[in-house]
Amino acid sequence: MLEVQNLLVFFENALALNDFSMTVKKGEIVGVIGSNSAGKTTLMNTLSGLIIDMAIKERRKGGERITVYGRILYQGKEITTTRPTDRVKRGIALARERHPVFPESSVMENLKIAGYLRTRAEIKEVSEYAFKVFPALMPLKSRKAGFLSGGEQQMLSIGMSLMVKPKLLLLDEPLLGLSPMMQKTLISAICNLQRESRITVLITEQFARPVLPIIDRGYVIENGMLTLSGTGQELMDNPEIKAAYFGV
Amino acid sequence: MFVGTVVYALINSVILLLMAIGFNLTFGISGVSNFAYGAFYILSAFVTWMLMNWIGVPYFLSAVLSIIFTAFIGAVMYRFILIRVRGQVLSEVIATFGIGLIILEFFRYLGFVGIEYSLPVFIDHSFVIAGTYVDMQRILIVVFCIVLILLLWLFIHHTSIGLAFRGIAQDERTALTFGIDSDWIAMLSVSMGAALAAIAATVVVPLGTISVGEGYDVLINALAVCIIGGLGSTGGVIVASLVVGFAQRFTDTYIGPHWTMIVSLVAILLVLIVKPSGLYGKQKELEERI
Repeated sequence: MLEVQNLLVFFENALALNDFSMTVKKGEIVGVIGSNSAGKTTLMNTLSGLIIDMAIKERRKGGERITVYGRILYQGKEITTTRPTDRVKRGIALARERHPVFPESSVMENLKIAGYLRTRAEIKEVSEYAFKVFPALMPLKSRKAGFLSGGEQQMLSIGMSLMVKPKLLLLDEPLLGLSPMMQKTLISAICNLQRESRITVLITEQFARPVLPIIDRGYVIENGMLTLSGTGQELMDNPEIKAAYFGV
Repeated sequence: MFVGTVVYALINSVILLLMAIGFNLTFGISGVSNFAYGAFYILSAFVTWMLMNWIGVPYFLSAVLSIIFTAFIGAVMYRFILIRVRGQVLSEVIATFGIGLIILEFFRYLGFVGIEYSLPVFIDHSFVIAGTYVDMQRILIVVFCIVLILLLWLFIHHTSIGLAFRGIAQDERTALTFGIDSDWIAMLSVSMGAALAAIAATVVVPLGTISVGEGYDVLINALAVCIIGGLGSTGGVIVASLVVGFAQRFTDTYIGPHWTMIVSLVAILLVLIVKPSGLYGKQKELEERI
């Protein structure tokens, strides 16, 4: 479904992604594991097209030069240089890191804003589905999103991505800043979601422990470079991973 | 005299609100401070006048056409000029103020000065309210403003474009991940702000004449109201227009008409000293903004 070939991303002269290649097959959950500043968010921004928008805006005002080399193929078509709105229309949805929601708007309004490309009936249908996936959000419908807890904001953020009706859901560090309890709840919600609606999920994380058991395949990224790849089980058994991420 | 002053202060507040609402909308959504705002106000008034007097288009139709035209000019200004300096506040201010100067001084250069440049009132009639004469146009302005605010509220909260406005205003990059095109929405917001300036001109200009100098006054008043209320906050703008509106009218009656314009400037200074983000402002970096 998604094929990334030799991706290189430069911010001016700093190399954020170095010759990164990966594939995501339809219906899989794929993980990208890496520590801080390994290039996870840059990867997600490049896949969702945000980086193209950033590059255009920086170029207009003569700011930082952002360059992307390599190819991204989605459903067999090249999307490397398309803008984020185009990729959203094709079914690529990104939930950005640090659970960004619209803090001034209520939970329901957040979902409505996220449903920009949808009809009224679709918004109603998908938001009901989002409340089914995340029942904790139901009683908070009219609360301002800025007043939600971190975990609730993350649920809302994923719920908002669902409004796009994604075929490929990109989750950028969904567990960041959440308690172990909340991490568990969220992981099982993501699993249910993937099983029920057959969405393909690509998830980046620095917490390998909760993520590795649920992923079909995983990639380990360090300093923008791919260092390891394999099935979730293979990665879990890998001594290097154990040492680096499990502290064993 | 007191009751009369209160009645006129209320009307003055509503007029200020009408003048400020477009500036506030554009700033609140896309962060663009449109200093060509007063020029758009005058531009639309002159376009209406030209359509009526040169081509003979009926009043109502020429007003609608000039609102559409002004909105179009706003969109063009964003698409070809502002898009390049977006996010650089000082450049935005200089660019828009420059465009405003060009528009206003061009009209002055062409000789559009004099009392013959005025628009007719909608309905020529007047009432006595609490012992004060109030003409129909001023009553209509109040009714019109209330309807406009209601329509705007409905638009922002219940249409997909309005909700996209809310999204872009809060977090542009996140909005992008839902397929909201930030350039398109920002262009719409500048265009809508320009249209609101034109709408304000359509209803307010019939009270006086169309004069180039008025363009600068409108900008200062809009700025005063928006800064006092807190940039980007609709509730704040409503309260601030009441504050400035009453202050101006009472100064006019009890101190002297030539102090009126100073009131807005003093109010700006006071608010910037006491509460720099404005009465209801969320923009913490206001000092940098203006």
